Amino acid sequence: MKAVVSMEYDIIEKVNEVAAAGGSLEDRLERAARLFAEEFHFDQCLFFLAGSGGALKLAAASSGLCTTGVLCYGKGEGLPAVAMEKGGLVEAQKEPGRAEWEGVPDPGLEGVSTALVYPLGGGGSFSGVVYLKARERTSLSPARKDLLKVASLQAALMIRNAVLLEDHRRAHAELLAMQEKLASSEKLLALGDMAATMAHEIRNPLLSLGGYAARLKRQLPSGSPGLVYIEKMSQEIGRIEKIMNGIIRFLNDNLAELKTDDLNCIVDEALDIFADEFSAHGIAVERRSVHAPLTVLADREQMKIAFDNIIANAIQSMEKGGALKVVTSRSGDFAVAEVSDTGGGIDPEHIGYIFNPFFTTKKHGTGLGLPIANSIITRHRGGIEVRNEGRGASFTIRLPYSGAASVSSDLLPAEAGRVV
Amino acid sequence: MKKRILVVDDEEGLRLLYKEELEDEGWEVDLAASGEESLEKLEKDSIDLVLLDIKMPGMDGVEVLRRVKEKWKDLPVILCTAYPHYKHDFGTWASDAYITKSSDLTELKQTIKEILGKKQ
Repeated sequence: MKAVVSMEYDIIEKVNEVAAAGGSLEDRLERAARLFAEEFHFDQCLFFLAGSGGALKLAAASSGLCTTGVLCYGKGEGLPAVAMEKGGLVEAQKEPGRAEWEGVPDPGLEGVSTALVYPLGGGGSFSGVVYLKARERTSLSPARKDLLKVASLQAALMIRNAVLLEDHRRAHAELLAMQEKLASSEKLLALGDMAATMAHEIRNPLLSLGGYAARLKRQLPSGSPGLVYIEKMSQEIGRIEKIMNGIIRFLNDNLAELKTDDLNCIVDEALDIFADEFSAHGIAVERRSVHAPLTVLADREQMKIAFDNIIANAIQSMEKGGALKVVTSRSGDFAVAEVSDTGGGIDPEHIGYIFNPFFTTKKHGTGLGLPIANSIITRHRGGIEVRNEGRGASFTIRLPYSGAASVSSDLLPAEAGRVV
Repeated sequence: MKKRILVVDDEEGLRLLYKEELEDEGWEVDLAASGEESLEKLEKDSIDLVLLDIKMPGMDGVEVLRRVKEKWKDLPVILCTAYPHYKHDFGTWASDAYITKSSDLTELKQTIKEILGKKQ
């Protein structure tokens, strides 16, 4: 008798071993399925797990019978639904000449004479079912049925643990990502303070330098060899001045005046500024928009600076000609502007960095154009995304449609632009 | 008679640059290194236009502008600064022009000419 008891409880120990083992949930369920089929002398054991909409999906099966056609049970379908409804074991035998089992059709039971289904879990909350099938008629003794319940409960715990572990891992990864983002925004803040101080301290002496260089240039006799050097000095000073102006603008882009505006007009005005450059570089402009106004709350000057930077970036990528497509439309709660060029797109290695201050691939770029655009758009509670599309890059700018959502004038910290 | 411009800036290098450049254009130039000094000079001398830096230690340009406009309503003031956001500051609305500082003084000279021309 003692031997029988130890043999009976052997399965519990084995299921425990499977549950405690490493590896994916699917692997462990498959081992459990083989164990269940073997121990309870059925031809096949399958585990179905609850998915979205109450459907049960096949998660693991032992070999033995063909499983085709029973990869998924919809809500309320087949014997598994009967077992979940009942909250307990369903044992069904094939009745000669009848297609139904326990009053329901089950396509997974072709060539099967005995089926046993037990819901996984308890307290009315089930994570799935364990499904045993046998070709011949068979039945379990009450003691074996109790054992099946215990083993199933163990399997349910294993599944629950795996789900919790997965949730925990996801939450942990999100937390790490958030921490990283926070650390980098703190660093950016400190960097911003430093840059503001530096910009101010550098700018004034720089203006003196540039001003005196210009005076010196006027005083040198024409043909003097020094003129070339002075010219070079002025150019370089001009370059630093441009960078300083960019930094100052980047750090001081407060939205002073949010007014009801039309995104169509803002975009049109920004495009107008570049009319000469478009023709100089042989760039064809295609402009499409909806006829209704795209109402947004915007600081028009700031928003124009944002679009200036995005358009200038596109022009720089098409200096030898190309096509610029600018489409404005409404999408749900957002007014959307899409600016696409044919300038060859952005190197996939660089695409994640193009909204970072001071990142540039251009010889004379300041690395501030797109970060400024991103910062302005973010402060308008909008977003900017970039992706390579067709023969170039495509920027999508989304601003809250002001008829659809209330926008407070609270400023938001600038966030990184998104790459899709 | 030559028009007289008062340049108010805490940077010595810039004061001298403005002086030489504006004198080349045929104006007389007076210099003040601080807001306080500029008000003293305005009391003593006859000035036709003030070129005013905003960011200065002590009394800043916005405060100087307020005091100037209280006492000499018609005296034109041009505000100079590196920071475009001052444009939105109520205190600066009283100025006659607003110039972003640059080593290229063309825009500044043009603005001075326009304002002094209108005054005549």
